[in-house]
Amino acid sequence: MVEPLVTDPLPIEGASRARHRWLPWALLRLGGVVFVLWAVATVTFFAIRLIPGDPAEAIVGGPGSQASAEALAQARADYGLDQPLLTQYLTYLSHLVRGDLGNSYSLRSPVVDVIGENIGGTLLLAVVSLVVASLIALGVAALSVRGGRLASALASLLEVIAAAVPHFWLAIALILLFSTVLGWLPPVSVPGVAGLVLPVLTLAIPLAGFLGQVMRESILAAISSPFVLASRARGENERGVFWRHALRHAAIPAIGLTGWAFGALISGAVVVETIFARPGLGRSLLSAVQQRDVPLVLGVVLVVAVGYMLVTTLTDLADRLVDPRVVRR
Amino acid sequence: MKRTLAPILAAATAIVVLAGCTSTPTTTSTEPVSGGTLVYASGDAEPTCLDPHVGGNYPQALVATQYLESLVSKDIDGTVIPWLATSWTEADDGLSWDFTLKSDVTFTDGTPLTADAVAANIAHLQDPDTASSTGYLAVQKVESVEAVDELTARITLSSPDSGLLDSLSQPWLAIESPTALERTQEVNCESPVGTGPFVVTKWNRQQSIILERNDDYSSPPADAAHGDVAYLDGIEWRFLPDSASRYAALQSGTVDVIDNVQPDTIVAAEEDDNIVEVDAPRPGASNRIELNSSKAPFDDERVREAFIRAAGVDDAITSLFFGTATRSYSALSSVESFGISEPEIFGYDQAEAATLLDEAGWTETDADGYRTKDGKTLELTFPVSTNQSIPAEQSLFEQIQATAKEAGFKVVLEPLDLASWYTALGENDYDLVSAPYTKVGADVLRILFDSDGTKPAPSGYFANHSQVTDPALDELLESANAESDQDKRADLYAQAQKIILEGFYILPLYDQQNHYLLRSDVEGFRALPTVSTPTLYDAWLNRS
Repeated sequence: MVEPLVTDPLPIEGASRARHRWLPWALLRLGGVVFVLWAVATVTFFAIRLIPGDPAEAIVGGPGSQASAEALAQARADYGLDQPLLTQYLTYLSHLVRGDLGNSYSLRSPVVDVIGENIGGTLLLAVVSLVVASLIALGVAALSVRGGRLASALASLLEVIAAAVPHFWLAIALILLFSTVLGWLPPVSVPGVAGLVLPVLTLAIPLAGFLGQVMRESILAAISSPFVLASRARGENERGVFWRHALRHAAIPAIGLTGWAFGALISGAVVVETIFARPGLGRSLLSAVQQRDVPLVLGVVLVVAVGYMLVTTLTDLADRLVDPRVVRR
Repeated sequence: MKRTLAPILAAATAIVVLAGCTSTPTTTSTEPVSGGTLVYASGDAEPTCLDPHVGGNYPQALVATQYLESLVSKDIDGTVIPWLATSWTEADDGLSWDFTLKSDVTFTDGTPLTADAVAANIAHLQDPDTASSTGYLAVQKVESVEAVDELTARITLSSPDSGLLDSLSQPWLAIESPTALERTQEVNCESPVGTGPFVVTKWNRQQSIILERNDDYSSPPADAAHGDVAYLDGIEWRFLPDSASRYAALQSGTVDVIDNVQPDTIVAAEEDDNIVEVDAPRPGASNRIELNSSKAPFDDERVREAFIRAAGVDDAITSLFFGTATRSYSALSSVESFGISEPEIFGYDQAEAATLLDEAGWTETDADGYRTKDGKTLELTFPVSTNQSIPAEQSLFEQIQATAKEAGFKVVLEPLDLASWYTALGENDYDLVSAPYTKVGADVLRILFDSDGTKPAPSGYFANHSQVTDPALDELLESANAESDQDKRADLYAQAQKIILEGFYILPLYDQQNHYLLRSDVEGFRALPTVSTPTLYDAWLNRS
């Protein structure tokens, strides 16, 4: 038995010899989470209060309801809006520490309930979109890698176009094509899978453009690397080379992008949920900002921040599993 | 990037246009058929409370028209007609009104409609805890409501109010079950109880309100097409904020009726045999640009007139609204019978504008072509509410900006969200502004032009954006409000409007636009002549 001269830098059996480094890493993470949450709450609180506009109007039925002075004064007193801003901020923080997100001004129900009702729809949309985007990106990357230079150039062009398309434009184009012209899919959200297709495609196509560019480059780099040559020399067929070696290399940058992708999906959800009239956090956030519904804006932003940190932590963990070099560094 | 995508969009549009040509007519019936659920898609904001007493805005009125009813309504000629009240009499001194209620009407929770129910509703509107805005303003002159007998309610006023019937016809003053009103506001907002043809059964926030037919219904307004229960089994009232997907949903038949239809969509729908348009301009004030007369340069009437002469409105409306909106020359909506129209005041004349500006002392011109006076540029700040002004209207303001520049006006358009826009008005930081105002009856003039309306409330809100403070005008509007003789009222309102129009305080544009599109197999749809909200009581689905 002769050892191959060139070894795959990613051994199939991941080895972790640095178990003791996990504790400080976790503590640092936790401290970071608390700090980020405080910063997000503070910046959002002051940002929304500094934009002109009166939250009391949201409480008494929204702008356009021509609220009387008495009603507005009453609302301000009821919700403590007549207090100095700093007092309101400290009150808010003390409630937040106790896990109390307060009541939505415009929906007249606890923010926790509003988020609970809406988070499922957004998570479903985000997760399915992420999966679909990864599949599209992988498929295009795999085909273009095998198809030679022309296929690669074409894939690259498609990826750039997909990545650059704004969500609102893509949504309308998909509605025109699949609902108005072909009549295959409903133009607005309906229960079931059919209602999910267009919103998911709207989110997945631009994301697939980004992921595809990164994946294709890593696959190309891996395929032309010495360890692939070596495994070919060992008699590995094309399929084996692709699935066992190249794909794992492609996964690393894709996993690294997942945290960013989650952020992109949530911001995309604001547009997509509005256009397709899907209930969700994005749509809640948009209407809350428009109505100066401070507790709801803060609640949604905090939940999104928590979600974002959760995802980046998970991708860090995943990175360590797929690529043991991360721990060694 | 845009350049790459433009041909794709153009191709997609072409396909859509072609697809629109192939339509299949459905079989038709002439007798109303019962059954089916109608899907209504609203582009308005989702109400925060389904009881229009609380707050009181148009989105609430739209849906509340399906399950709540008012004491009186109006027919298409503007005449007040019976609804929950069969008759009414005003006392000679104008200080009290007796309303006789329809007998054997029950709310959908079983509570009977009585004079006490009317009293409980007015009390609910006046209760500060209700936080009513629109309804609260409308019943400000009401001192008390007493039950003369079970079906006769006497409303006592602090001073005569000829606009009382107009006010009571509005959906924001609908009569709700007094038993239901005693529940907490949270519960009442979720499931208000009225006498209407439909009942709220479920509210899926951010999605839809589910309404089912009221099988004990017996109280349609006097101008309804039938007298029995509604034809539809129910209504799914959806919220589709995006106008493009809303229209796509109508085209594909996912929904049956849409509101907030934009001019380009109306024109596109004319080509589609499966879609019908209903034009129902809102009552109250016309859409107009208000000229802030409280400060320079518009404190000078000549400068106001010069601006109006220099503002090219007609061609812009024709091109931007594709003929879907008609130019107005009135302070009031064309549906208001007391409105007067004076086209000759609003002629477009750049030469005259130049002369007027010369007379007013704006004689110098700077390098950019703007007039100046004592080194100051003739600059006009125009905060535009992007929530209230549709895209076509915002483009219209840009056209006006361009033509006013020819005369030397520097119009600075400031697109703002609603809250910021209110703030700009509250700080008197504007020279031009356009704000819709929906209210039934000519008494809207008193809200918009009485000098009391110039004092900002603590919220910064005030309605007299032209900031007209004319004692003669106040006097006319007050006496018109107190006058019960219709001819005398008409005369007083005409005099008041002459002062407003001839003082160049406003530049009328068109009626407040309100268009509905429906599938052509939706029959019997109409807008109530009060505030032009849709009523689906007479509606039925002509489908086999």
